Amino acid sequence: MRVMVLVKADKDSEAGTLPDEKILTEMGQFNEELVKAGVMLAGEGLQPSSKGARVRFSGAKRTVIDGPFTEAKELIAGYWLWQVKSMDEAIEWLKRAPFDQTEVELRQVFETEDFGPAMTPELREQEERLRAQSEQLSKAANL
Amino acid sequence: MRFMLLMIPGGYESAAPGTLPDAKAVAAMMKYNESLQRAGVLLALDGLHPPSMGARVSFAGGKPKVSDGPFSEAKEVVGGYWMIQVRSKEEAIEWAKRCPGSDNEVIEVRQVQEFADFPPDVQEAAAGFSELQAQSGQLKGS
Repeated sequence: MRVMVLVKADKDSEAGTLPDEKILTEMGQFNEELVKAGVMLAGEGLQPSSKGARVRFSGAKRTVIDGPFTEAKELIAGYWLWQVKSMDEAIEWLKRAPFDQTEVELRQVFETEDFGPAMTPELREQEERLRAQSEQLSKAANL
Repeated sequence: MRFMLLMIPGGYESAAPGTLPDAKAVAAMMKYNESLQRAGVLLALDGLHPPSMGARVSFAGGKPKVSDGPFSEAKEVVGGYWMIQVRSKEEAIEWAKRCPGSDNEVIEVRQVQEFADFPPDVQEAAAGFSELQAQSGQLKGS
């Protein structure tokens, strides 16, 4: 199963404070272990919400609000995508992360089968094709 | 530039385990996903099961503490995401606007940190990160 690991923002990440060498080294070692164990699927850091925006939907109307989102208590600063056998395994891995004070949320990722009958055979084929094509583009973008 | 489009569906913070989107919503969203792919901007996408099927770990004082979902204090939660590659924030926002979102939904548009965004000393300390990304990318394909 796949688990998305959402690292919550804090004052430092929202201020654009860059991680120091010690944290980068420790995180690098942790990421290395995740890759070696075959757990790491993806991982990225996000720029602070001051560089972002939100789009609200109301019928056909779209309202754009520029960041930062100071009232939002649940901002994300980064994420990983992990391949694991269970949520417990993901939790065990996360406990080893070199965090101090950070809040992290773990969420199960929808697999195609999880959608049930709403995901018709045609939609399933389309979904698989989209994933294969976007993975190609993603690999090219990482080079 | 890469942007993450985070779907924040109102009410999802209290969704029961096994909550599924209905067929019409799935079909409409798949049309949108297809348009992202045809335009050559779609890098990745995923839906997330509700927080009632998840967990949180807090690291106060460096000691991990686990709590099972749902999380009563959470007023908004992520329901899914798209990762897109575009030329500007404005272009990312335009794509977000085209999503067939419902009235209780918000999409947050966030720029992804690229290695080159960091100053030279930070890049040096993080050396090897792009190799890690490439390795994990290969893993995904297997």
